[in-house]
Amino acid sequence: MSKWKIYTPEGVQDILFDECYLKRNLEEKIRNLFRSCGYYEVETPTIEFYDTFSVDDGLVPQETMFKFFDQQGRILVLRPDITVPVARITATKFKEMPYPLRYSYIGNVFRYNDYGGGKQNEFTQAGIETLGISTPESDAEVIAIAIRALQAAGLENFQIDIGQVEFFKGLMEETELAEEDIGQIRSMIDRKDFVGLQEFLRSNEIREDLKKLILDLPGLFGSTDVIDRVKTLTSNRRSLEALENVRQVLEILEDYGLSQYVSVDLGMLKGLNYDTGILFRGFTYGVGFPILTGGRYDRLVESFGRECPATGFSLGINLIMMALQRQKVAIEKPSVDSLICYAGVGRKTAFELCGVLRKQGLVVEMDISSAGVDAVKEYARKKGIGGVLYVSGQDTIEIHDLHTQEVKKTSVRELLEGGSI
Amino acid sequence: MRYLTIALSKGRLTDLTMDLLEGIGVDCTEYKNASRKLIFTDEKNKIKFFLCKPADVPTYVEYGAADIGIVGKDTLLEEGRHLYEVLNLGFAACRMVLAGPAELAGKLDQLNNKRVATKYPRIAREYFEHKRRESIEVIKLNGSVELAPLVGLSEVIVDLVESGRTLKENGLVVLDTIAEISARMVVNRVSMKMESERINRMIEGLKKQLEVVGT
Repeated sequence: MSKWKIYTPEGVQDILFDECYLKRNLEEKIRNLFRSCGYYEVETPTIEFYDTFSVDDGLVPQETMFKFFDQQGRILVLRPDITVPVARITATKFKEMPYPLRYSYIGNVFRYNDYGGGKQNEFTQAGIETLGISTPESDAEVIAIAIRALQAAGLENFQIDIGQVEFFKGLMEETELAEEDIGQIRSMIDRKDFVGLQEFLRSNEIREDLKKLILDLPGLFGSTDVIDRVKTLTSNRRSLEALENVRQVLEILEDYGLSQYVSVDLGMLKGLNYDTGILFRGFTYGVGFPILTGGRYDRLVESFGRECPATGFSLGINLIMMALQRQKVAIEKPSVDSLICYAGVGRKTAFELCGVLRKQGLVVEMDISSAGVDAVKEYARKKGIGGVLYVSGQDTIEIHDLHTQEVKKTSVRELLEGGSI
Repeated sequence: MRYLTIALSKGRLTDLTMDLLEGIGVDCTEYKNASRKLIFTDEKNKIKFFLCKPADVPTYVEYGAADIGIVGKDTLLEEGRHLYEVLNLGFAACRMVLAGPAELAGKLDQLNNKRVATKYPRIAREYFEHKRRESIEVIKLNGSVELAPLVGLSEVIVDLVESGRTLKENGLVVLDTIAEISARMVVNRVSMKMESERINRMIEGLKKQLEVVGT
C-alpha cells in the first residue's frame, strides 16, 4: 500500500540547499535581465486543457504530455511549455494593448522523455516572447537577450546557432514532394542523417541541382559566409528571402557586439510545425543537450483565433546549472555568518543583537537547541559557520572565532559600535 | 584543448573500427596492449575512447558522455536517440528484414492478427505502423529469433540477415526489407557544434580512409 512512499517518481528531483541557492540566484539574475529589457513577467496555470496544446497537429506530441481529467471528464495536462499558453493569452486577452507585447516567464514545465530538461520530466524554463512584430530587429533582440541571459548566468563559452526554416520550405516547394515525405526529409536533415538522406533522394525524382543542395543542407553550418556560399546555389525566391532575413539578423547582432557568439546552421529544423522563420539553439560544453531554443512562430497565435506574429526563446535553468557545475565555474553557496546562543539572563539581549545584525545584512542563526555553548560550537563548526556569539549576561558577550579558536569578551554596545565581528 | 571522447561497440565492429581510427592517425597502442583499462587515451591527439555494449553507444553519445560513437545502424534505429548520424562506414553490412514461412509471401495482408517476434521491438513496431499502417503484437526475444515461427510463437519475425542461410535452412523467406544496415559514425548534437572543426576533420579523414579501403 505504501510501497512507494519513500521514493520520488521517475524524472523528478529534490533540489537541495546548495543547488536551490544557485538556482534561485540564477532565476533572479535572469528575471532582472528580462525586467531591464521591458519584458513583463506572467505566470500561467500549471494545469491547462489538453486541447490548448493539441491545436495544431503535432504541436506537442501527445505521448510527451502528463494527462489527467477534471470533474467533467475533460482532458487536462501539466503544461509542457509556456510559449503556447502565452499565445493563448495573446489571442484572448490584451486586445487593447499596443504591439509589441513583451512577455517573460520562469516556471516549471512537464514532459515525458524529452531532452529539453536533460531527460528530466520536470524542469524549469525561463524565457521571453515578443508578440505582434515581425521585423528582423525583433528576432535579433530575442537572440541578444538569450545571449545576455547566458552571460548573466555566468557562462562564457557557448554558441548560438541560427537557422531559417523558410529556406528549407522554399526548397521543398520546388521538389513537389508529398507532405509526409517532406516531414521525413526534415527530420533527417535535423538529425544530420546524411546517409538516410542520400538513400531517400536516390529513390525520389528530384531535379539534380536541387537534390545536391538538399544533400548539402545538413552540412550547411559554420560562420556567416555560409549564407553567401548558399546564395549562389539556389534561385528559389522563398529560400533567398530567408537567407536575406538571416543576414539582416546577423548584421543587427553585429551592432549589438555579439557576433562572436553566433553562427549559422541552415540545416537546423526543429520538429515543430509552427516554426515560420528564424530559429536558434544554444550550446555549451559539458551538457549534451541544447541549453536554449527559440525562434519565430507567426502562425501559432492564429490557431487561437487572432493573427499575430511572434518570436521568443526559452532556456533550461537545470541545464545551465549542470553546465556551470561541469565547467567548474565558481558557484555561490549559501552560508551563515554567525550563530548566537545565550545563557538564560541574556535571552532578550540575544534577540536584540540578532535583529540588529540581520538588519546589517548578516546571515545569523539563533540557537534553539539550548544545549550549551560547547555543543553549539561543535554544531557551528560542522556547518561551517565562522563564529559563535555567546550572550552570557545582559550585557556580556563572548565572541568565539571558530577559525582561530580565539575567545574575546566584550559588551553589546562595544560590539555594535565596533561594527566588526 | 579538450579531450574528444569516442564510444566504440564491443564485438564484431571493434577491430574494424580500430583499423579505421589508426588509419587517420589515432594512437591505439594503449588498447592493443590489452590492459585492463576501461578508457584508452591518445595524449597526442587528445582523444579518449572506450568500449561498451553496442546498444549503449547511442546513449553515451546522446547524453554527451561521449562526443562520437561508432555503432551499427540497427542499434541506432532501435534506440531512436537524438544524435547526428554523419557517416556510413560501410562495414558490417547486412539487412533488417521481415521474414516468415514461404507460404506467407504475398499473403501477409490476409493475416489478421500478426504476432512479430524480434530482438528489435521498436524497429518492428515502426515498420508496421508507418510503412504497413497496422497494429501488431510484438514478442520480444533475445536470440534465435528464427525459431519463433517454427514453434508457433509468432507468424513472422523482424531480424538482421547477412547471407540468408539461416533463414533458408529453416524454411523461412524474406518478405520485405526494412533497412540496409552497416556501421555508422554518430556525433552528439552539441559536440558537433562546439568541436565542429576537429570532428569535421575526423569525418573527412575517415571518408578518405574508406575510399582507399574501397578501391
